[in-house]
Amino acid sequence: MRSFEMTETFALSSVKPLEELASYRKALIELTKKALAHGSQPRALSPISQRVLEPAGEVEGLPYGRCPESGSLFLTQLPKPQVWAELLTQVVQLRHSPVGFHRNLAQSRMDHVYAPKLEWMEEALRLQQIRQPRVLEVATAPSDFTQLLRESATFSQVVTEDETALAFSKDPDGRQPLEAAILLESLDHSMEPAGLAQALSQRLVPGGLLFVTCLVASGFDFHVLGLRNLYLVPPDRANCFTLKGLTQLLKRHRFELVEVSTPGVLDVEIVRSHWQKDPTLPVSSFERFILESDEEARRAFQSFLQEGHASSFARLVARRVS
Amino acid sequence: MRVLIVGYGYMGKIRHEALRKNPWVEEVKIFDPAPAASTAQARELFLPADAPIAWDRFDAAFVCTPNNVTADLVVEGLRRCGKVFCEKPPGRNWDDFSRIAEAAAALPHTTLAFGFNHRLHPSIQAAKSLIGEGGLGEILYVKGTYGKSGGRHYRQNWRNKKEIAGGGILLDQGVHMLDLFHLFLGNLRPVDAVLVDSFWNCGMEDNAFVLLRSSQGVPAFLHSSATLWKHTFRLEIGCQNGYLVASGLLSQTGSYGREQLTIGRRQFEDEALALGNPREEIIHFDRDESWEKEVNEFLSAVKEKRDPTHGTLEDARRVMEVIRDVYAMAEVPALGRDVRSA
Repeated sequence: MRSFEMTETFALSSVKPLEELASYRKALIELTKKALAHGSQPRALSPISQRVLEPAGEVEGLPYGRCPESGSLFLTQLPKPQVWAELLTQVVQLRHSPVGFHRNLAQSRMDHVYAPKLEWMEEALRLQQIRQPRVLEVATAPSDFTQLLRESATFSQVVTEDETALAFSKDPDGRQPLEAAILLESLDHSMEPAGLAQALSQRLVPGGLLFVTCLVASGFDFHVLGLRNLYLVPPDRANCFTLKGLTQLLKRHRFELVEVSTPGVLDVEIVRSHWQKDPTLPVSSFERFILESDEEARRAFQSFLQEGHASSFARLVARRVS
Repeated sequence: MRVLIVGYGYMGKIRHEALRKNPWVEEVKIFDPAPAASTAQARELFLPADAPIAWDRFDAAFVCTPNNVTADLVVEGLRRCGKVFCEKPPGRNWDDFSRIAEAAAALPHTTLAFGFNHRLHPSIQAAKSLIGEGGLGEILYVKGTYGKSGGRHYRQNWRNKKEIAGGGILLDQGVHMLDLFHLFLGNLRPVDAVLVDSFWNCGMEDNAFVLLRSSQGVPAFLHSSATLWKHTFRLEIGCQNGYLVASGLLSQTGSYGREQLTIGRRQFEDEALALGNPREEIIHFDRDESWEKEVNEFLSAVKEKRDPTHGTLEDARRVMEVIRDVYAMAEVPALGRDVRSA
């Protein structure tokens, strides 16, 4: 198994600035509450272990539960699948509206978020000697990534399917088999992550690769901030797996892990931004020491987090076993 | 399959471990006329040391002996067993190798492979897959450093006695790096070399600096050393669109450091904040399956009655030719800075 580190650094403000998050976050909470008002169902069991979720607290009145086996966090009230799918569509539109920060940062996000992800996939496919695969992008349309995938010479065919529909699909076996599939933070907001993993396990040919990126609760900023982390907001983060939970989920659906990395570069800056915004935030003396250190020391600590699988940005490549 | 290991030193034990994991292997026997005391647990596997080796009882044989007997045993194994895996180096010198090659040529239905497991290390395989069109482009140069520290008993080890080993650190460890150069660049010829017995005074080189050129003109540089007080494995590959640095080795002791591959992509000033400081990715590897892969491939070749895919006679010929030419072009002066005066 491999794991990656990245030496590149970029500012939090260039991809998801905390100062511009408030209005987007507020809109997400409102949309989620509105969706739940149509009627909700409790999610009592962990999608990983099927064990009863333990109460973990609330985010703006929305309750989260913790998987007792892995520590992963899950929103415990969910609407019907169709309402959830509509909610995710509204969120995509919101991101590109004046309320979302994505539109103004389109080029920066392309450079720092999407282009490195495509490069990662191309590299992993070469390492596994998979040439010209047919790839399934799992997303709620329209996806910022689709065009980049289509323009890449790496894939012979790019198919995009709706993440909620796929998670509840009845007959994934009957569809075209694929050599690669992509879940860019879909597991963070799927109301049925186990169903999604199962469907992909059925769609991929043996030896096919699944690319997963997620924000994970086992990362440094979640360790320090817990539910106070402003980036933990439904539906974008209806699920916040730990790295352990994520690997368990994939292994339980006939995937073996080829790469497990946490190459995030923003954990320390995320905590620092929260702390600067709210100086009363409880931090330990060691955390305070790190946050007050100079840039070089903070960068070195971030590098340590990457190497120790302790950053909150997780990147996995899993191979469908025969 | 019934497998014989001839020579049960450090490498014999490693091969035994890999054979234990292979599902086709039903029986392993060992021949070693002077087994170490530490091999007591495996004594029931030993053939009598005073009787001739019963090569023909076995489906395959691994020759893991000191260099001075390698060629004789491989030739005998080829004639009487027909399926031989020869630990590196392929003999003490070009003459030893030539005897092996002639025997193999005279016995066309035999299977012969040589132990060049570094090709199968995960960092090397990853590097290989990233080179070429669509990846980092063609190779511009290769630079390799491979070295160890020696130790208090360095002089006593057979590897450092000229009459047994045949050559110094270039033949002992450098042979692996040369094999990797061939893997990436194809045929190579030495352009210049400096060999020196700088510290250990064994009458053989403890440092080798070798400049080579591939048949396509790509330069390569090797530093093979027995005076690297920090164990080092580092292979730098410069390409048109970036570079790769394989460093560290997943070894039993871990003394070469964590095995990793650094991938850098060329970025000029319009693509990065600072010229000459591109974004790098570092892949860490946590599993070395090179021994198992090498043994499995050899046994597959035996089973399927085909030539092995790597560690071939041609691979061995390429490295032994370079070593022959380097020894011919460079003397080995002793600088007299030995361990006793250090």
